[in-house]
Amino acid sequence: MNVLYATLGFIGIYAYVSFASLLWGGIDRKLVARMQRRMGPPLLQPFYDFLKLVSKESIIPRDANRFFELAPVLALAVSIALLAYTPLGFEPLFGTKGDVILFVYLLTLIGFLRVLGAVSSGSPYAQIGAQREMIILVSREGPMMLALFTILWRLSELGVTKPFSMGTFYEHSIWELGTPMSVIGTVILLFVFMAWLASEIEVGYFDIPEAETELAEGTMAEYSGRHLALFELASAIKAFVSASLVVAVFFPWGISQYLGLTGVPAMVVELLFHTLKVFAVLFVSMSVFRAVTGRLRINQAVGIFWTRLLPASIVGALLLALDTLGVIA
Amino acid sequence: MMLPYLIIVPLFGAFATPLVGLAGKKARELWAVLITALTLGVASELFYTVWKSGEIMVYTLGGKNPLGQGVGFPIRIVWEVDLLSALFALMVTLIAFVAVLYSTEYMRHDTGLEKYYTLVLVLEVGMLGIAITGDLFNFYVFLEIMSIASYALVAFRNDTWEGIEAGIKYMFTGSLASAFILLGIVLLYGQYGTLTMAYLAKMIAGNPTFTAKVALGLLAGGLLFKSGAVPVHMWLADAHPAAPSSISAMLSGLVIKIGGTYALARLAFSVFGMGISMKTVGWIIIFFACATLIVGNAMAIIQTDMKRLFAFSSVGQIGYILLGIGIGLAAYGSDVGDVALAGAIYHTVNHALMKALLFLVAGAVIHQLGTKNLNELSGIARRMPVTSFAFLVGAAAIIGLPPLNGFASKWLIYESSALFNPFLAAIAIIGTAFCTAAYIRVLFTFFGRPSERVVNATEPGKAMLVPMLILVLAIIIMGLFPWAISEKVMIPAAKTLENFSAYVTAVLGGV
Repeated sequence: MNVLYATLGFIGIYAYVSFASLLWGGIDRKLVARMQRRMGPPLLQPFYDFLKLVSKESIIPRDANRFFELAPVLALAVSIALLAYTPLGFEPLFGTKGDVILFVYLLTLIGFLRVLGAVSSGSPYAQIGAQREMIILVSREGPMMLALFTILWRLSELGVTKPFSMGTFYEHSIWELGTPMSVIGTVILLFVFMAWLASEIEVGYFDIPEAETELAEGTMAEYSGRHLALFELASAIKAFVSASLVVAVFFPWGISQYLGLTGVPAMVVELLFHTLKVFAVLFVSMSVFRAVTGRLRINQAVGIFWTRLLPASIVGALLLALDTLGVIA
Repeated sequence: MMLPYLIIVPLFGAFATPLVGLAGKKARELWAVLITALTLGVASELFYTVWKSGEIMVYTLGGKNPLGQGVGFPIRIVWEVDLLSALFALMVTLIAFVAVLYSTEYMRHDTGLEKYYTLVLVLEVGMLGIAITGDLFNFYVFLEIMSIASYALVAFRNDTWEGIEAGIKYMFTGSLASAFILLGIVLLYGQYGTLTMAYLAKMIAGNPTFTAKVALGLLAGGLLFKSGAVPVHMWLADAHPAAPSSISAMLSGLVIKIGGTYALARLAFSVFGMGISMKTVGWIIIFFACATLIVGNAMAIIQTDMKRLFAFSSVGQIGYILLGIGIGLAAYGSDVGDVALAGAIYHTVNHALMKALLFLVAGAVIHQLGTKNLNELSGIARRMPVTSFAFLVGAAAIIGLPPLNGFASKWLIYESSALFNPFLAAIAIIGTAFCTAAYIRVLFTFFGRPSERVVNATEPGKAMLVPMLILVLAIIIMGLFPWAISEKVMIPAAKTLENFSAYVTAVLGGV
């Protein structure tokens, strides 16, 4: 595929993911409302919100510096760049060997840009939110990276064309190993990934940096108008991308070969099927989790990551590693 | 042949500065900028020639041929420039040019500037001499030229207590380290009767004695001091904050690398490479590298003085360079060793660019606000956006974020250390984690709520902003083509350093 087609495809994916991720926002709100016996907003509510925010005046605080206006743009730019390396039912458009590091880096960078934007606002509310986001950011990536790298290492042992790339998942699936040890390890890592996903999109236990009631929106306290709209869109894309990672790692199965499709139609079908799987994962990790749990304190959340999830991740990784010895076949 | 002009131009410039200074301040500044620009031109030409031909350039002082008439050994001082030397000469002249350009505005309020520019040019001469020399005693002389100029420049602001204090500490301990180096050279001369590095290498290979090992120990000890490796890094943390910022940029970007790690690598490979166990020397250097990595970066986190923080971070980054050299020695002859050495060379150049940039930023802040205490500097980004942007780029590069140049060089070092020994890679990662923490702290200070001290600050003038932007541009451009640079320049440079028999035959011919 030459560069031109790749770019066009990339733009198409961007448009599609923006639409799908905002649509999921609407579905999520509807579902959570239903769980609490409310009617809830219409499905397309996030689109109305987005358009309204774009049309509104954006207020820049007196103490803010240039980066305050730059951060939302960069956050959106990074999340768009991230789409080029996200597995969406098919191998990423610009995927190469080792792109998993780029993926993790860009995903973390979005969070970091939010923090930087918040710090640049000069507001103490945003500063406290930023500190909390930074602490959570540092805590949550460790277990996820350990789990992700273990799985990729295990898959690369099976022989793949591009080791440590996001396309690996479509060549071999971790469930293929089939040994009891690897299945148990994979289930543990799935649990780690679901918790990581919840904290990545900041819902339920981990709704700490934004904390509407406690910190008045935390990191986003000073953002308004189109700058807020950009951040909201970036966050929606980020939620979709994070869930895509979970789907690609644990549920990479496609349907196109059963339908006998190839080429572009196959990609479209896979993308739609992938979107369904993403919505299913997000339903568990976002809607249900958000509806049934409350917020933790920051120290409790950090404690969960270091004393529960990191050990869980280590155990899962060790099980997968020990499995290579073939002791229990 | 442009090689002699690499020394002639700055040396002439240095000695002519007091005379040109008689024509007034402007003429003096213009002269210094002109001389450093010319030297940069000479060095670029030299680098291009050496890179293009891929050969080692040999220049004999006072004769056509280094060998004496009728004897089979070299009797004259030779300069021997391979790709590595040429690369470092280019780096030195670039940073020196930028620092001098920056000084024209930064040092305007100081007195005694004719001495300042003379000393800066002498410092440049010393560093260039170390990079190109092929003679051990000549190396010592250039090392002392560099060291003495830097003692004087650290204590240049002699009306401040810290300048004098740091200068004395640096001079006393530095002279001791130089004495070690001289003693090592004396032992080598006593044992082998020659001072030409290439011939010495051949002699050591033929007859590796205990004296040679003692000499290597003394030389390595002195050079580790000059590079600020951990047990002997204390002078650095005082000298860099106390010096004028344009000098800190040269000290941290160049002096500790040319006089320290470059000389160490040159001696370990080109001179002692054939006569000693490289594995042992490699592991000794790795040991110091690990200590340097951890201590330097960890100490950077707790600093409240911006320049002190950058100084400790320099110590930490020297750890990476030493780690690369150590692995290059310990894994000599394997791909891992090649990659590690290329990473060390690449990181030397990158760190020179970014640490010079960071010290220039610190200088701009001090110049405009009169303080370097981080607790008082909150919210500079609002009043000094360009300076803050330059800081952001420098900090991101030093942490090693992908679109900037620090990523590729650190990656080579991580990769090779992970392949060599995973434990070393873990130490390198821990060092980077500390480094990240230190710089993010400064970043949050820069971007936070403006404090009272900052509200009326303004950007510095063009003569200070332009040097910073040149370095920012260099960092970004080098960051866009990391693997091309690594493939075309750094790996060949590492190969020339490893190929010590070519270094010997370049001087001795087929002998």
